[in-house]
Order: sequence, then structure tokens, then C-alpha cells
Amino acid sequence: MDAILALPWFDFTVSGLVLGSIYALMAVGLALIFGVANLINFAHGAVFTVGAYIGWTCAVALGLPLWASVLLVALGGAAVGALIEVIAIRPLNRQSRIAPLLATIGVGLILDQTVHMIFGANPRPLPVAMPAWRLTIGSGSVGPIDITIFVTGVIAAAVLYGFLFHTKLGMAVRATAQDDDAAKQMGVNIHAVNMAVFAIASALGAIAGLLVGIYYNAIDPNTSFQIMLKGMVAIVIGGMANVPGAIGGGLILGLIESYGIALFGASYRNLFAFSVLLVMLLVKPNGIFARGRERQAEPMTGTFVTQSKPIRLPGWLLVLAVIVAALVPFAGKPYVTQVMTNALLYALAGISLTLIAGTVGLISIGHAALLAIGAYASALLTIAGLPVAIGLVVAAAVTALVGTALAYPAFRLRGHYVAIGTLAIGEIVALVILNWTSVTNGSLGVYGIPPLEIFGIDFFSTTPAYWLVLGLVVVFALLQTRLLSSHLGRTWRAIREDTVAAETYGVSSNYYKGLAFGFAGFTAGLAGAITAHQFSYINFDTFNLLTSVLLLTIVILGGLGNVAGAILAAILVAGLPEVFRALAEYRMLFYGVALLLLIRFRPQGLLGSG
Amino acid sequence: MTFPVLTRRALAGLALAGALAAALPAGAETSGDSVTIGVSGPLTGPQAQYGELWKQGFDLALKKINADGGIDGQPLQYVFEDSQNDPRQSIAIAQKFISDPSIVVEVGDFSSTASMAASPLYQRGGLVQFGFTNSHPDFTKTGDYMWSSSISQSQEQQVMADYAVNRLGLKKIAVLHLNTDWGTTAKNIFIEEAKQRGAEVVATEGYLPDEKDFRATLTRIKAANPDGILLESYYSDGALVVRQIRELGIDLPIVAVGSVYSPDFLKIAGDAANGVHTVAYFTPVSPRPEVQTFIKDFTTAYSKEPNNFNAMAYDTMNILAAVMRQYGTTREDIKSGLGQISGISSVLFPKVSFDPEIRRVMGLEPTDLIVENGQFQLYQ
Repeated sequence: MDAILALPWFDFTVSGLVLGSIYALMAVGLALIFGVANLINFAHGAVFTVGAYIGWTCAVALGLPLWASVLLVALGGAAVGALIEVIAIRPLNRQSRIAPLLATIGVGLILDQTVHMIFGANPRPLPVAMPAWRLTIGSGSVGPIDITIFVTGVIAAAVLYGFLFHTKLGMAVRATAQDDDAAKQMGVNIHAVNMAVFAIASALGAIAGLLVGIYYNAIDPNTSFQIMLKGMVAIVIGGMANVPGAIGGGLILGLIESYGIALFGASYRNLFAFSVLLVMLLVKPNGIFARGRERQAEPMTGTFVTQSKPIRLPGWLLVLAVIVAALVPFAGKPYVTQVMTNALLYALAGISLTLIAGTVGLISIGHAALLAIGAYASALLTIAGLPVAIGLVVAAAVTALVGTALAYPAFRLRGHYVAIGTLAIGEIVALVILNWTSVTNGSLGVYGIPPLEIFGIDFFSTTPAYWLVLGLVVVFALLQTRLLSSHLGRTWRAIREDTVAAETYGVSSNYYKGLAFGFAGFTAGLAGAITAHQFSYINFDTFNLLTSVLLLTIVILGGLGNVAGAILAAILVAGLPEVFRALAEYRMLFYGVALLLLIRFRPQGLLGSG
Repeated sequence: MTFPVLTRRALAGLALAGALAAALPAGAETSGDSVTIGVSGPLTGPQAQYGELWKQGFDLALKKINADGGIDGQPLQYVFEDSQNDPRQSIAIAQKFISDPSIVVEVGDFSSTASMAASPLYQRGGLVQFGFTNSHPDFTKTGDYMWSSSISQSQEQQVMADYAVNRLGLKKIAVLHLNTDWGTTAKNIFIEEAKQRGAEVVATEGYLPDEKDFRATLTRIKAANPDGILLESYYSDGALVVRQIRELGIDLPIVAVGSVYSPDFLKIAGDAANGVHTVAYFTPVSPRPEVQTFIKDFTTAYSKEPNNFNAMAYDTMNILAAVMRQYGTTREDIKSGLGQISGISSVLFPKVSFDPEIRRVMGLEPTDLIVENGQFQLYQ
């Protein structure tokens, strides 16, 4: 206890506030957009990066003075923001509610990749002459840029607050946020309002990119996602659409991270951030600054699934497809077989996610966690001596149990909150794997995982491995299709369409959500476990957030809830980039554009959602 | 005249093609089927910058090798497949290389995860996997087709401990390390080596590669009251750490592992870099002619100074070319050749040879450096 008290708490507080003011600056823009568009703008991190690079171009390449750079960065950011609104948000006005969120992920990928292609992947310095004085506080010091970041955040929040609550245009913004149809009838040009909000928020995000770049004297095209996640946690703490609250949320997050590091060490920092996110969602979803106890209507309740009639593939076509698939190894191209094995492993995970996200309607951005649990369970058990075949089954069962238990608290969340909550759970699982060194070997990963074999029969070689995975995909696809046409499938869909109505009819929604997670966890766990035996080496990063996003893309491409669609989409998503390998550098761009076009023009997916 | 560097990524190669066509003397023309090396590495994704650095080193080396007649008259070339540093893709690439008879040896991948996932396939397929950034202690353990010219961690950490404890006299050291397989292994070995030399490690903190802010971590380190800080970092994160150490007013000696040795480290860390100790296996202050020629050629070709990754990539092509010239160009020739080759000189190693037992490079020669006036200087 004395040791804890003796820590330099004052210095940790200063560190936390300096870091927190960066998060706050990000959060203000996110909160503003959330307030109007009911949307977490996943492209906000990319806008931050674009701002940093516009800043570099102005301040370093062109040698402009700082004030001119800031101005141009703000203008550039505003232009990008307006563009995001026109391209990705406005056309999706009448579409399923998940559509704009996914569109911003697509835009983010495109912006990041564009920056990457123009400026290269290397981090570069951003030397901007700042006054040399530093203010000594405690045993450390803060410089002019630290203070600028903090002050910019506070001023931006104050000005925006004044604008929102004391000007006519601000009233229009709030009216649009509450009910855009009513606002339209009152003569508010809601498109102009939305565009203005995106422009203002993005200008702020871009300035944040410049300031933070100056602060670290380094800019890097790969920071977008991390900084955007922190901004998101900050607005969840401060209240999603609460602009002044975002400042508080950012500072609190900075302090939590700093104190967490003080007590437990640096490798726990993100574990704290995401645990706080989860707890906030469950306990105080309106943010800690919300007045009273009443629960505001959660944003985006109702289903995310675009209504459509799924395309029924005739039986003979499916049988033919399986036969053709089974013949792939005879083409004599092991590379193609391997790519197809990868694709089918994605398909297996996709079948699992389409049940959760499509049939039950819980959009999950943390599905990779289930793969990771299955992979680690099977790897550790088989290294300890269990035969691989048994390891696979036990791992799948473990994933079903652990996955359901982990997701259980998220069952009461709806809409956007499910997406954020599952994202947090996914990150938490990865961070626990990283920090639970005695079991998981921490950052060293698990090496020497036995190759795939089932009771002495080799399934490691390319062709048998392929057939094994193909067999599993067929079995689980049939099983799931059967379940979906039973009363269970109807119950799941009923919960998705209207949980309250379903409960009124005596359906215990938690029980049925649990069943869905159990089944999906088993399938995903199996996919993860097979992957582990195939790789022979895994670590905490093998199944990461990108895997989750890719799986979600697959499931949407196939049509939410559509089993055959998920398989088809997995083959397309995992296979097509291999065909276009020559264009390797543009691959992420390709994903981004594909996601955007898909959501815009065929939101129900290739085979229709069901 | 045959253009020697016909990679599939022709776009990037085109610019170089012009330069090469002009530079190649007519007499050293290569002809016949080319000898192809398969490279699996990141060209996109978060680690893409390393793929870029590799290509610069590879292209420069090939230009020279092919100007000298390639491999007995056959031009040497490489095919770069983008794995995004992702194991799913590196295993698919492995299948592609193994089944393509024109690939005689494979180079890469970048990280342990991506490389070691593919190792069992290369081992079964009988194709040498040559990893030059794979310092993971288990990398070469999959089988006798895994070879590495990456400095092994145990050698490197002995060097670090010698520098920090014996040379600088540090007794209470705080270690800040990347929380990756590389950084964690380095930290663990360093703690042992420091202990053997009579020093104590009073604090260890791991951070993830995408972290940018270290103030709280450093406050914690400061509270442990060390007399020096050791960084197991790469150059970009290492530079951020060093800057923030000085901004927090921590005035302790800093020793950083050799991977910070990069011009970008100096640029990003700025004035804060002054006084940082590090070691280099590749350094322009080295008088050896191999090093000086490399730096001159590299600076001419790319108008910037090379870093460690450029040098390692450059060496890799040269080592493999030397093996092929001496022992032949079949997959088996290269495997047995790597075990026999000795004494060739490269940028990083004055005399390259491999320990046939652990299949790792031998012959490390570190140079102790310190940053002064924004430049790496010999530490006297």
C-alpha cells in the first residue's frame, strides 16, 4: 500500500491529462457527427491522418508558416468531410441502419490507402518550430504544443456548444438530429446541415492530426484506427452526442490509462481503455455526464438487416458446386488449393458470423476473438498432449462456452452499441492473451503446434487439409440451414425484428441469443483451431481487428443471415485479391471501394439477406 | 539486351529499368534463363514500409550482381509477393513458390508469425526459407530448410549488456521493450546477461508497436529510480520514446538496441537523440570498403542514406548470389551451400558463415556508437 501511495501520482495525472487532451480533440469531432448523423464515423481516424499529411505538405514541403498550415489543413479536412457526407452518407439515407457505419469503414480504408500511396509507409518527422520554453510541472514539463492541443479542444467544444444551442443554424442541426423528416418539413435543408457538420468535425479532426503530429514530431499513415478507437471510447464515456462531454471523456480516458499504467504497467493500457468502454456501455450508456437516470432511446434500435427476399439456389446447383469444389486439388495447382482452403476457413467463420449478425441481428466487430479462443485452446491442449482430433472438438466447445459467456453482457445492448461492445470484447480477448503470459506465452506466441491429423490420418498436406475444411463447411452449412428453417430460426428472426414483441410472446431472448452464440462459437472455434494447426505458430495478433472487419465484409457481401451467401462471399473476398496479385499495392483500396459500392448499390448482399 | 530485374511488380521496376539500361556495361550482359528468388513480404498493410526498404536493398544488389554477369551468365531476379505480413497469405505464397520450379530459394517473411506459419510448408516442400529479419529464437527450429542471416538475439543482447554494464558502468537498468516476440525475447535475454555482469534490471515495461504516447510509462520507469534506460525498440517507436524521455526531464543515459540505427531515428527524435548510445553492425563510420561502396551506391540510386533494413536486404541478395555462384542453383545446392559457405564479406558481417547446427549467421562485429550533434559517431 505504501508503495502505491509513494508513486508520483501528480506526474501520472499530468501525463494522463496531456494524453487525454489528444483523445478529447478526436472525440469532439466524433461526438458532433454522432449527434447529427447517429453514426460513429469510422473514417474520422483517416481524416486525422489526412490532416497530418496535408500539414506536412504545407509546413515542411512548402515551408508555409504555421498559421497558414493550420488554415489549409482545416480547409482540406473540411473538404474531405464534406466529400464523406456526399459520397458515403447522403445516398444511404433510406438504407438499413448499419449501412452508413460500414460505408465510413470503407471510406477510411480508401483515405488511408491514398495517403499511403502518395507519401509511402515510413513514418516521417514533422518539424515545426515551436517556442522553446517549457513549463515545469511536478518533475516533468509541458511545452507549448501540449497546451495548444488542450486549448484547441476546449475552445472547439465551447464554440460548438455555443453554436449548437445559441444560433439558428445550431437549432437546425439539433432538429435534424432529432427527427430529420420533421426538420425537413420545417424548411431545414438537412443535406446542407449534415454536410456542414461533417465539414466542421473533419476540419477539427484534421487539425488534431497536424497538432498531434507536431507534438510527437512524427506522422505515420497507420495511426488512423488506433486513434479513432480511443476517440470512440472517449465519446462513450462522455455521452455519445455530448460535445462538451467529449472533452471530459477524453481527459478521463487519458487519466484511466495513465493510472492503469501506474498500477499495472504499460502493456495493460488498452485493456483498461476497452474494459471501461464495455462497463460504460452496460452501466451508463448515456455517458457519465447524462442528467438523471432515464435511459434515452438508444440510437439505431431496430434491425440492421436490409429487407429482401433471399435468392434460393436450386439444390442441383449446390450439389454441383460442392462437386466442383471437391475437384479443385486435381487442377494440380497447390497454390490455388491453399488459397481455397483459406477461403473456406473464412467461409466457416463467415457461416458463424452470419448467424449472429444476420439471423439474430447482433452486428459483431469482434468475431476474430472467437477464432483466437479456438486457436489458442486447441494449440495449448494439443501441445499438452491431447490428440489433435480431440483438441479440435474440445477447443470448439470451449469457444462456444467462453464466447457465449463473454458476449452475455452484450445481449442487452442493441443497435450501434452491440457493434462497439463486441469490438471492445474482441480487443479485450486479444489483450488478455497478450498479458496472460503464464498460459498463453504472451507476446512470444505459441510455437510448435502439432500439424493437422485425425487419428493418425494426415490432414496437414495441402489436398487432405482442403478436403477436411470443405467437408466441415458443407456439414456446418447444412446444419445451420436446417436450424434456420426450424422453430429456432423463426425465434431468432423474431428476436431480431422486435425483441420486445418476442419477449411479450414468452420468448426468453437471452436464452435464444445464448443458443445462437453457442452454435456460432462452436463453428468459429473450429475454424480458429484448424487455422492454428495449419500455421503451427500463432500469437495474439494472428486474429485481429482486421480479421473481424474482413469477416463482417464477407457476411454483408453474401447477404446477412444467408449461409450460402457467406460461403460465396468468402471465396470472392479471399480469392479475388489473389487473382489480382499484380495489383498488390492497391488491395486495401480495392477492399474499401468494393465495400462502399456494395453498400451503396446492393446492400442486401449478393444472395439477399434472410 | 535483356533487362535483368523483371519483377512482376513492373511498375516500380520501370523507373529503375531506365537507370539500369543506361548503367549496364555492354560487356557484362547476362543471357539465358534467369534464376529466380521468391520473396514473401509486406508491400501493403501496417508493415509496408519494411517491404519498401527491402526492395531498395534487393534492387541495388541485383543491379550489381547482374552487371557482374549474374549467376554464371544467368541473370538473377526476384519475384516479390505481397503477404501483408499476414500468415494466411504467407502460407498461400509458400504453396505458390514451392510448386513453381523456377523458384530456387525463398526469402522472408517479415515477422515471425508470417514466416513461421509458412516454415512447415517450406520444410516439406524442400525449399530453403531464408529469413533475414527473423531473430525469433524458434525460427530456424522447424527444420533444416530454415536459415537466417538475422543476428541472433542471444548474440545481440550480449553486445548490449557489454555496452551498458561493462562500458557505461550502469548498475540499475530500466528496460523499455516492444511487446512483440522480438522485443520480449530481447528483454528476457538482456536481463540474464545484465545479471551475469553484476547489474540489476529494476523495471521492465512493454509497449505495443502502434503506441505513440509513453509519458505515463516513463513516469513509472522514473519512479523505479534507475541509473540508465535500455530500449529494445525499432527506430520509429524508439525515436518517440527518446523524445518523451527528454521532455519529461529524465536525464539518464539511454542505450538503444541496434535496430534504432537509422537516419529516420535521428530525424524524428531531433535534438533528444543526442547522447543516445547504440551499436551498429552496419554503420557508415565503418572504414570497410564494402560498407563505403554500399553507402555510395545507395545514396546515388535513391538520394537518401540507407538504413539497417536496406543493408540487410542488400546483404541477403549478395549472400544468396555468392552461394549460387559457388555451389549451384538448384534448391538442394543452395541448402547445402549455405552450410558450407564461409568468409565472404558483406555489409553487416566482415566474414559471413552460418552455424550448420542452428543455421544462423556467425561473425558478428558490433561498433559502439553515440549520437552527437544529430549524427551517429564512434563512441570513444
